[in-house]
Amino acid sequence: MSERDVVLEVEDLKVEFDTYGGIVHAVRGVSFQVRQGETLAIVGESGCGKSVTMQSIMGLIPMPPGRITSGTAMYRGQDLIRNKYLGGRDIRGSAIGMVFQDPMTSLNPTMTIGDQIAETLQVHRGFSKSQALARAVELIAMVRIPDAAKRASQYPFEFSGGMLQRSMIAMSLACEPSILIADEPTTALDVTIQAQILDLLMDLQKEKGMAIVLITHDLGVVARMADDVMVMYAGEIVESGTIDDVFYRGAHPYTMGLRAAMPSRELGARQRLTPIDGSPPDLFSPPSGCGYFARCPQAMRMCQAQHPYLMSVGTAHHSRCWLQHPDSTRQVPGLSIPHLGSVPVQS
Amino acid sequence: MLRYILKRLLHGLITVWFIATATFIAMHAVPGDPLSGEKAMTPEIRRNLEAKYGLDKPVVEQYRIFLVNMAQGDFGISYTQQNREVNDILREGFPVSATLGILAIVFAALGGVLLGALTATYRNRLPDVVIMFLVILGISVPSFVFAALGQLALVKINAWTGFTLFPVAGWGTVMHMVVPSLVLGLGTMAYLTRLMRSSMLEVTNTDYVRTARSKGLPPARIFLKHQLRNAILPVVTVLGPAIAAITTGGFVVELVFAIPGLGRYFVQAVQQLDYTVIMGTTVFYGAFLVLMVIIVDIVYGLIDPRVRLKA
Amino acid sequence: MTDATLSAAGFEPVQVDRQMQQLTRPSLSYWQDAWRRLKANRRAFISLYIVIGLLLFTVAGPWVWTVDPSTQDLDQVSKAPGSDRRAFIAEPYQPWDGVRTAVPEGPASSAPPTNVKTVGTTTTQAVRLTWDPVAGVAGYRIYRNIYRPTAGGALGLPLGDALTPDQVSFEDRLDLEPMTYYYAVLTLDRFGQALSAPASLGVKVVRVITRAQAVERKLVASESDAKVGDTLQLALHPFGTDYLGRDLLARLMTGARVSLLIGIFAPLFYVLLGIAYGSAAGFMGGKADSVLMRFADFVVALPFLLFMILFKIAFGIGPGESGIFPMLVALVLLSWPSAARLVRGQILQIREEGYIGASRLLGARTGYLVMRHMIPNTMGVILVTLTFAIPSAIFTEAFLSFIGMGVAPPTPSWGSMCNEGIRTMLTTPHELIFPAVMISTTVLAFNLLGDGLRDAFDARMRSRE
Repeated sequence: MSERDVVLEVEDLKVEFDTYGGIVHAVRGVSFQVRQGETLAIVGESGCGKSVTMQSIMGLIPMPPGRITSGTAMYRGQDLIRNKYLGGRDIRGSAIGMVFQDPMTSLNPTMTIGDQIAETLQVHRGFSKSQALARAVELIAMVRIPDAAKRASQYPFEFSGGMLQRSMIAMSLACEPSILIADEPTTALDVTIQAQILDLLMDLQKEKGMAIVLITHDLGVVARMADDVMVMYAGEIVESGTIDDVFYRGAHPYTMGLRAAMPSRELGARQRLTPIDGSPPDLFSPPSGCGYFARCPQAMRMCQAQHPYLMSVGTAHHSRCWLQHPDSTRQVPGLSIPHLGSVPVQS
Repeated sequence: MLRYILKRLLHGLITVWFIATATFIAMHAVPGDPLSGEKAMTPEIRRNLEAKYGLDKPVVEQYRIFLVNMAQGDFGISYTQQNREVNDILREGFPVSATLGILAIVFAALGGVLLGALTATYRNRLPDVVIMFLVILGISVPSFVFAALGQLALVKINAWTGFTLFPVAGWGTVMHMVVPSLVLGLGTMAYLTRLMRSSMLEVTNTDYVRTARSKGLPPARIFLKHQLRNAILPVVTVLGPAIAAITTGGFVVELVFAIPGLGRYFVQAVQQLDYTVIMGTTVFYGAFLVLMVIIVDIVYGLIDPRVRLKA
Repeated sequence: MTDATLSAAGFEPVQVDRQMQQLTRPSLSYWQDAWRRLKANRRAFISLYIVIGLLLFTVAGPWVWTVDPSTQDLDQVSKAPGSDRRAFIAEPYQPWDGVRTAVPEGPASSAPPTNVKTVGTTTTQAVRLTWDPVAGVAGYRIYRNIYRPTAGGALGLPLGDALTPDQVSFEDRLDLEPMTYYYAVLTLDRFGQALSAPASLGVKVVRVITRAQAVERKLVASESDAKVGDTLQLALHPFGTDYLGRDLLARLMTGARVSLLIGIFAPLFYVLLGIAYGSAAGFMGGKADSVLMRFADFVVALPFLLFMILFKIAFGIGPGESGIFPMLVALVLLSWPSAARLVRGQILQIREEGYIGASRLLGARTGYLVMRHMIPNTMGVILVTLTFAIPSAIFTEAFLSFIGMGVAPPTPSWGSMCNEGIRTMLTTPHELIFPAVMISTTVLAFNLLGDGLRDAFDARMRSRE
């Protein structure tokens, strides 16, 4: 892991939602760092709080019913949770860009693509309308959409899904942000388009040197893009570390479960994928012990009552599991799962 | 776009023909004939009158003549008002009804959009609760009760202040128009407010508004450029039916406020079974509504690029 | 987290009981879920009670309040609820010859008559006035006003002239009500022009009825049960009476039958017609579908209220008929297309759903698909449409009756009662207020109930919770 500048540091973020059924504790004390030029992947199943975490930092969760009950998110010495403005200007859209999951619904259907990109520049950079439009055409060309000038004057319904996601990326990068948050950027797209979008993101990252926070449930995407990985479960980080730490030296039974549920080349055609039984706990009343207790094959007696804390299992590699406690005599059995990539295959 | 407009106009023409035919059939289904309502007359006079109005011809022939005359913009002569052309009546009454209707629809549309946006913005807070309570009242109280209450209020206000800013009845000046058009537009405004509110709330939760916020746009810009324009679309689609509702509602308001519009002629004609006037008014009125609906659809196309460019 | 709890035993593996993973929330069927939501919606539930109350009022009301809605109570015309019902028993009316007296000699004066006073008791049978004769005049004129006269103000209703100077009395028997009247008497010259300023007198009139009338109105069993001078209470009208002295409560109940009959049955019939038409179009598809729907478009384009009126004339109302049936037919004929469109849209949408394909794949027949999938999945939308169609049908009936194109008198409906009430709006507002409130409450209740049902059936809301 390199020691580059930290551009975003989140401490103990907690988010709740009021619903008909009661209060949902969607995010329960999340802390992490984003480094310049690197990609942090946040992984987890639906409803684990990964999107809410980033949206609350961006001030995008509707309040009410949402509520940030504690936490800070420091960007260049300024707390984004308390103050969304930097030098009088909104950091959203200028210092941090965001790309959403479904490009079909994430663009305004009654505005041209060019206008929607130009808008950001007009607001944050003080460009005139024509300047901004000219720059928008350049940005559209930058994300490799052919015939950019014509495309700029078209409406979202005239674009394909992949083109729309490219336009979203162009829009989020218009002000050259230092962080790009990509919330499941490829989930709604065809597999071939997915690859193109990921390549585009990596190329742009190299070019511009920005940090990317990639929210996804697709471990394939993580393997391809990420430097660091953060696994979330039931509103908490259960494991974090570099991609190698998490993929090859996974320490939390949930991470092991995810790996076992994922097809990989090494297992060959006769592999059996192992699903994780059951479903995540109800976040209306989070369990007092470990959230994964009910599904965990390595569950111990204390896991039900005692809430595990993040324990260090290596350099900058943490796991929220009692198995890693020094008093634990048991081993994490998942380590025998075959490794990805360069590790030699043993038949 | 031009092709779309032409297509709509052609469809509109067919619709008007359908309305005319339905009117003709309905009128000829009436028991007896138009002349039996008159005082006793000798067979000779009766024959003359039948010849004058073309009633001696076979029904199909009458239908043909009716259509040909209508195509030339001639609705015939009134049965009860001697030698008065239906066109004259239309020319006299329609501008009044149209002015009243247009004022009411403008009031209803502007009020509905503004109040709807306001209530959605202040959702579940005091302005929302108060306005929505009034809106529910507005939807539940019949237009004639509003008309009566409006007039009663005017009588009291005029008596109390001692001078007449808004006349209680009649037509002619701008001041005559204010209260009747407010009363007429009230129900529709309430309906549009509800529609606008729910549409606005829906738009507020869309992905593209979230995108706009993630771009750090000022709230006013998000409201105007991203929310309002998209939220108005469903309101525009119901403007056509709303215009129809308002103009027929106008009949009552015209009666209560003694406004010399088409409504009064129509009600009079129905009471006297004056067939040419009934038919003329209905067909003319139907054609007007069809035209308004087409205009509303074209306006919708202008606002929504998906419709404009796909047509 | 204290280390004390981290005993070695804590690290023993346990077998997790998979039963614990049972979902904490019970699963509900579509209808159960909708009902649960409706119950949670307080406004909708109160509206449901109001609707039930209205139905009771309409159906059971006339058994409880058995007053005939067309009987006139001429003692109490246009009376607001809670007005004075007392009446005194009096002898039958006896004719009065009036008073003639000698006129003093003298020059004509422009002084008003003096000593204007009443003779005997002033009752609703008659008010008798006398005054002192004035010299040199040709006669007298008598006015009656319901307001206290002001200088130079209106004198009210001219009752009559006495065209000889010695005729110094007047008997007023014109529609007397138990209230205070202000009479004015002035002198006339030879040409019938007013000669003097009026002399006025306030007179309080008491309501009297004869013993025979009391028996006739069933206030007493026989004439011997009442003595002259007794006080009786006239018939009770809890909601007052209308301009013909008919009981408003009874009329509201009968009117409710008309309004709710049209309001409920017309939508029921046209929604049924719409379901048949729309599902036919949806199932047939292709050319038949587009022809059917084009026809529906034409019907929608007809100016609704004008055609309602037109159709009603075409059907004609015979003598003695109420005109309810023609109105029902006209409403059904003109209103079905919206329901047809809705059902067709639903059918087309559901036909494409995956579960229909899955069911078909498992060998389900069309009949089964319709019964098991199509109808249950459209019922919610249809129910909501029906609930919203009721208030609009009630409005239509009220509107038509209001402009005199609705049910034929004497059949009451809320709309025609409003029409009658609006004429006397300034003096007796209750005649307008009661039917208007009934219409508004009914429409309000059905609208709120419809809102509640729509929210209860809305699948998007289900997932949002």
